[in-house]
Amino acid sequence: MKVDGNWFNERTVKPIPKLLENKEEREVLRKIKKQKIYLLALLLPFILFVIGFEIGPLVAMIKNSFYADNGIQVTIDQYITIFKSKFYLQAIQNSLVISLFSAVTSVIIAVIAAYSITKFSQKIQNRLLMIANMTSNFEGIPLSFSFIILLGNNGLFTLLFSKIGGDVFADFNLYSWTGLILVYIYFQIPLAIMLIYPSYQGIKKQWKEASSLLGGSTLSFWLHIGIPVLLPSIVGTFSILFANSMGAYATAYALVGSNYNLLSLQIASLVASDVALKPQLGSAMGVLLAATMIGAMWFNERMMRRIRRDLR
Amino acid sequence: MNYVTIDQVTKGYENQVVLNDISLTLKKGEFATLLGQSGCGKSTLLRSIAGLEGVDVGRILIDGKDITNLSPRQREVGMVFQSYALFPNMSVFDNIAYGLKMKKVKNIKSKVKNMIDMVDLIGKEESYPHQLSGGQQQRVALARALVMEPKVLLLDEPLSALDAKIRKSLQKELKRIQKELDITTIFVTHDQEEAMTMSDRIFVMNKGKVVQSGSPSEIYTSPVNTFVAKFIGNYNVCNMEVFHKLVRSTELKGNEVAIRPEVLQLVSAGEDSLDLQENWGIKGVIKDVSMTGNVLRYEVETDESAFLVDYLHHRGEMFEQGARVHILVPKKECIIL
Repeated sequence: MKVDGNWFNERTVKPIPKLLENKEEREVLRKIKKQKIYLLALLLPFILFVIGFEIGPLVAMIKNSFYADNGIQVTIDQYITIFKSKFYLQAIQNSLVISLFSAVTSVIIAVIAAYSITKFSQKIQNRLLMIANMTSNFEGIPLSFSFIILLGNNGLFTLLFSKIGGDVFADFNLYSWTGLILVYIYFQIPLAIMLIYPSYQGIKKQWKEASSLLGGSTLSFWLHIGIPVLLPSIVGTFSILFANSMGAYATAYALVGSNYNLLSLQIASLVASDVALKPQLGSAMGVLLAATMIGAMWFNERMMRRIRRDLR
Repeated sequence: MNYVTIDQVTKGYENQVVLNDISLTLKKGEFATLLGQSGCGKSTLLRSIAGLEGVDVGRILIDGKDITNLSPRQREVGMVFQSYALFPNMSVFDNIAYGLKMKKVKNIKSKVKNMIDMVDLIGKEESYPHQLSGGQQQRVALARALVMEPKVLLLDEPLSALDAKIRKSLQKELKRIQKELDITTIFVTHDQEEAMTMSDRIFVMNKGKVVQSGSPSEIYTSPVNTFVAKFIGNYNVCNMEVFHKLVRSTELKGNEVAIRPEVLQLVSAGEDSLDLQENWGIKGVIKDVSMTGNVLRYEVETDESAFLVDYLHHRGEMFEQGARVHILVPKKECIIL
């Protein structure tokens, strides 16, 4: 027992005061501490920015959504209004459908396009990525007007093709559901390519070679190895595209104005219109919008873990 | 009867010949090694046998069947890569079962179990590659290739990425499994020591050609040219004219003479009991002494050139740097190139 006691004293109690007695070591520790404080200080503007412009509005939005129209009474009436109104439910449904449709289509196209980009020389790959990068930033009002100029009722291509005779755009109406989806997909694809392309670099040539030596065809390689390896990035991209189009406002507004019933357009008219200003109701719809995005991300993550069991 | 035949295979990229008219044959169950420096064409030859690269001219036959133009999956060869190339999204069991599933074989479970047993990975069936050590991953890769019962097993520097100790133990195990299954194996390495310990037969390659083939001891004791002598055993290679001057005798004829460092002996310059019947004596000064654990390596400078002399590291006896010595060169150990 005595031995144990000594051991305890020497090993755990003595070295610590010794360490602090040592001047040099104390100096080093102080320097490290100082450095940490400097680093935190540099981070401070960013933290303030996030609090002021992201967390602050979010909290305000959630808080607002639980107030009545007069802004005094605390209530869940706003949510009840939404779920009782066919009009608002339709807005949510429309937004969900267009987001799902454009995200799924864009991901499928991007998976194929990004793969074919990897087959070019490095120089051409860089150029194609540059184009994708530029076009992925091309959205909102300018994009809508570009489409109107090219494919609108009096658009360049519409008129050109009707003059030539082969009127391929006769049944096409840019200001409709199809037109809206076309424009959404257009701005989603480059972004999806940018996001998926890097993950192809993670697919090793040896995996394909090993698979073929073991009797696998190209299809079985992609089915059993390629796609599952790409899956996290596909799922991540899908989530971003979904959120991107759920929240898209300017593109839709410039193209269809208030003719089409979308969640983002409704929120805008509730918080910024001059006819029926109802910021509390708008907040509640904003909360629902955020909830659907989080729900979609959660669902994606769950699905992915189910298939990629190695990532658990 | 030859089991594997490489018949006058030639292959080039753009304006560079990678494989230059290579012919070689292997017997069933043989463990053959393609040995050479990087860029000598050994990996390309292996990949051509696997069908991962085509050849421009020549034929490749396995078990009497011409496989030159078959796709990799029709060739019935197994391959293990340096980087393991395990499928990261599959467990150990699924990695090994992959090929069997592709072939729609019956009794997959028991076959995989047997293989896991053979490579000593019991208990790791459900682990994923990223949870395994390098050595374990390579065992899985080996099992994945062997479970298909390939006619030929191809190993592309499979141990190069592992640390020395695991490497040694895997060398032994690989050899054991190879003997147990009696599987014809072609092993690629740039490490002459590894080639020596593992192989029944070594093919030394240089610049796209097989420069010498034979058993490890044949290759080690009688290299056919300077390249093999230097690459395989750190031979002292000396120009014949220089050698004549050094030993003051013109008894040997030829272009160059090669002498292994471990057959040379050092005697202090003062000693006069030199056996000059069986040996030649060369005067020199110890320029450097280095130690690789059990071997002491002296670099001895003579009037004309430097010699390496290897000694087993005995306690006490050691020549100091700067000591004047005689190098005793046994006459029968001189190899003329």
